[in-house]
Amino acid sequence: MDYKGLIESLVKKCIKKGADGAEVYLQIGRNLRISIRNGEIESIQEAGSHGIGFRVLVKKRMAFSCCNDLSEKALENTIERAIEFAKNTTPDNNNVFPSEKGISKVEGLYDSSIKNIPMEKKIELAKKVEEAAMKDPRITKSAGARYGEGEAEIYLANSNGLLKNYKATGFSFGVSVVAEKGDEKSSGSEFCSRRFFTDLESPEKIGKEAAKKAYEMLDARMVKTQKAAVIFTPDVARAILGGILGAVNGERVLQGASFLANKLGKKIGSALLTVIDDGIRPKGLASAPFDGEGVPTQKRFIIEKGILKGFMYNTIVAKRADVKSTGNASRRGYTSTPGIGPHNFYMEAGEFSPDEIIKATKRGLLVNIITGYGINPVNGNFSGGASGFWIENGKLVFPVKGLTIAGTAHEMFDNIDMIGNDLDLNRSFTTPTFRIKIIQIGGK
Amino acid sequence: MFNHYFKSDIPRRKFLELGLKGSIALAATPMLLKELLSYSGEMYTKTKLNIDPQILNKTIKKALEKGGDFAEVYVENKISRSILMEESKIKSAVFNISQGAGVRVISGNKTGYAYTEEISEENLIKAAETASYIARGSKKIEPINVRETKRKSFIKIEIPLQYIADEKRIEVMKRANDAALAYDQRIKMAFISYYDEIRGRIIANSEGLLLSDELPLIYFIVQTLGVGNNTRHMGRERVSYHSGFEMFKKVTPEEIARSAARESIAMLKAKDAPAGIMDVVIQNGWGGVLVHEAVGHPLEADNIAKKIGAFTGKLGEKVASDIFTMVDDGTLPNFRGTTNFDDEGTQMKRNVLIKDGVLVKYMSDILSAKQLRMERTGNGRRESFRYYPIPRMTNTFIERGKDKPEDIIASTKKGLYVQSLSGGSVNPITGIFNFTCREAYLIENGRKTIPVKGATLIGSCQQIISNIDAIGDDLAFGPGTCGKGQSAEVTAGQPTVRIRGINVGGSRAKF
Repeated sequence: MDYKGLIESLVKKCIKKGADGAEVYLQIGRNLRISIRNGEIESIQEAGSHGIGFRVLVKKRMAFSCCNDLSEKALENTIERAIEFAKNTTPDNNNVFPSEKGISKVEGLYDSSIKNIPMEKKIELAKKVEEAAMKDPRITKSAGARYGEGEAEIYLANSNGLLKNYKATGFSFGVSVVAEKGDEKSSGSEFCSRRFFTDLESPEKIGKEAAKKAYEMLDARMVKTQKAAVIFTPDVARAILGGILGAVNGERVLQGASFLANKLGKKIGSALLTVIDDGIRPKGLASAPFDGEGVPTQKRFIIEKGILKGFMYNTIVAKRADVKSTGNASRRGYTSTPGIGPHNFYMEAGEFSPDEIIKATKRGLLVNIITGYGINPVNGNFSGGASGFWIENGKLVFPVKGLTIAGTAHEMFDNIDMIGNDLDLNRSFTTPTFRIKIIQIGGK
Repeated sequence: MFNHYFKSDIPRRKFLELGLKGSIALAATPMLLKELLSYSGEMYTKTKLNIDPQILNKTIKKALEKGGDFAEVYVENKISRSILMEESKIKSAVFNISQGAGVRVISGNKTGYAYTEEISEENLIKAAETASYIARGSKKIEPINVRETKRKSFIKIEIPLQYIADEKRIEVMKRANDAALAYDQRIKMAFISYYDEIRGRIIANSEGLLLSDELPLIYFIVQTLGVGNNTRHMGRERVSYHSGFEMFKKVTPEEIARSAARESIAMLKAKDAPAGIMDVVIQNGWGGVLVHEAVGHPLEADNIAKKIGAFTGKLGEKVASDIFTMVDDGTLPNFRGTTNFDDEGTQMKRNVLIKDGVLVKYMSDILSAKQLRMERTGNGRRESFRYYPIPRMTNTFIERGKDKPEDIIASTKKGLYVQSLSGGSVNPITGIFNFTCREAYLIENGRKTIPVKGATLIGSCQQIISNIDAIGDDLAFGPGTCGKGQSAEVTAGQPTVRIRGINVGGSRAKF
């Protein structure tokens, strides 16, 4: 089907029906999910899907409608719904669509082999990763292994003449297992996601890692409430990056609902701290040639050597802030209006190996699980549940669980004093291992 | 659709700040209709689901052609509106029309699932073929032809959403916005989120079941930004019912807004919370999310059937203190977690899970009920036609006790009073949970004193329910959205309770 032709004609239809401006976003996809437990197929789920979203502008009022029925009658009805809905929104001079015609060049988003991988091979991969994890005698049960793949095509057109499209694939697999000792249970999971099937790690490596995460936490204890160094591993990246992300959202900044609102160009943390948003990284899981409303993506500093360098914007919020869109319009599929979100968002690597960081720590906590919401983006407060390993004199001495760590973003950023060289950019939201010199730990 | 890109721990369930979902007799009286601004005749050509039972029979037959012991067709359509107001402006208005059908085949412990967005005989048969892949070579059964069944209704509607003009929806948002800003000068902004939907369902299966209904749902969330000297706090209040627009008469937009604003202002004075193990009193209402996470998820029968859940093999055993009774009740009138029947067609029930400290029941769907040879409890739920059903909670709560809330506080010498929780998560295998406080105070010498900043509470489920030593007589509820790979509308509830010795994640060492 000529989808480009379709969305172009739908933009025209919106205008004909009374819109002053319009955008049409079409998504076509297919996904497969396989789950395996104890060597047997537990479920196979497969489906193709499509959907279309209309953003219309009527007298500077914006509204959105979407449907997953591509019949002509349904599409017309949906357009009329958006135009009708626009009568109720607030007019705003900032309500505009982008006019940037180009796209960024991003290699490696689509693996054409996706059509030719036999089902048996995918099932095999999930079976093997479970097998590898169950090999360790300390592992008693499998909570299941999974394989998932998806492909999507995005088509976007607007009344400023934009007409763009791209396609992308994604593959992932992993396993979750349980280790038991007496009455004690501990679970561990590991997953691997890539743009290309052949780039997936070996099931042996992933399985082994899941097993290790489960058994190494057996016999975990608690320590006393105290202040000490805390080493964050890449598995807990979200706890620190999530709050930064929420606070650099250009709209929240304009609204004063961000703890970083007045800090642009100022020092907000240790000179070791650099955070980057990269939309163009080859094979990046969060890379794309253009953002959710068609603006070309880019790679940019959010924090550079401790200085807050920039916020993130989509077109409407950028116009309001009198800046250019940073290509951060994000969409959760065809059912959502463009919000503001990251691409590959990460903390830059440092010079130390994770072992060196541990060795340099006299007393502290190596944390590999943090539960809770992380840093609160509105006020910068941080509190979370933590488990991992206790460190004495540069050595991991025993596993710990049931602890809490708490502080403020300010205190955490300032106290980052060592950063690891183990940044893995195959993850799209990540940090290397890094240390915070001192922070409050809650325990016995 | 690419959410599997993020590395995540499968068993972790998170409460999302999102809302979704939605039979029933339309009983708008002429008097109520007169109050509406205008009559917007919804084009309901598609919402009224109608499908030839013969097509359903053929699809089920096709699904079981290669083998298998159960097959089901689920047809859904949904019309939703989601409107967002920020900075006193209507910023975003989203109108969503979605439809689709899923076909499921169960063969022993295996599930095959496929869905289509085009509800035609051809596409249903194709989905049935895809779903039947897993049943190849297994024993075959002959499906029973479907016959229309009726179920009792727990949802009454006075003013159907179909008759509500968009202006009316915006009006309740404006009322909430005005009330929030008028509450206190320090309320700088309100975020008002309005969501409603009408969800139509048809469920047909190889046991001969054929059911259909249509349910409305409203989810109204007010968040308010309070700004003080060098401090900010986002307060929140949420109200949600499977209800018509009369919901806003039972609880007004102004009340909802003032409740959020009150929290914002109270927390501007918050000091650092203490760290370490202490006694915690949790106020009645949404605080029940703690047992939803810590006890509810581990009692869902899927992980029990896999023998990995924290409560595996504990049926009939004493697992909690004598005063602790916990219930999951999908029949509470119009509640967010209530439906007339679950997404597999099982009648909703009141299920007592733990009675006087003894574990008496798990929450099941059709598959786990079969695996555990237990009854179907009406907990088989799904986010949409894109998912197959799994065991989920509905309205889950700690049953009321005998203590007076004020006596519970007065008899607590030192501890933390949690007025509201944001949400939390649990690892259902180990039973380790965490929660984040929204609004909390110190308890000093039996009195609620200064507010303290959002602290995390952590512990294990077994420990929590053994350490509950006081339960109030003031049972109340709050709405939320629960995530377990797919989202579900739920209510959590509890009376005021005291739990001895929880680890609190504050940023200062001394109490």
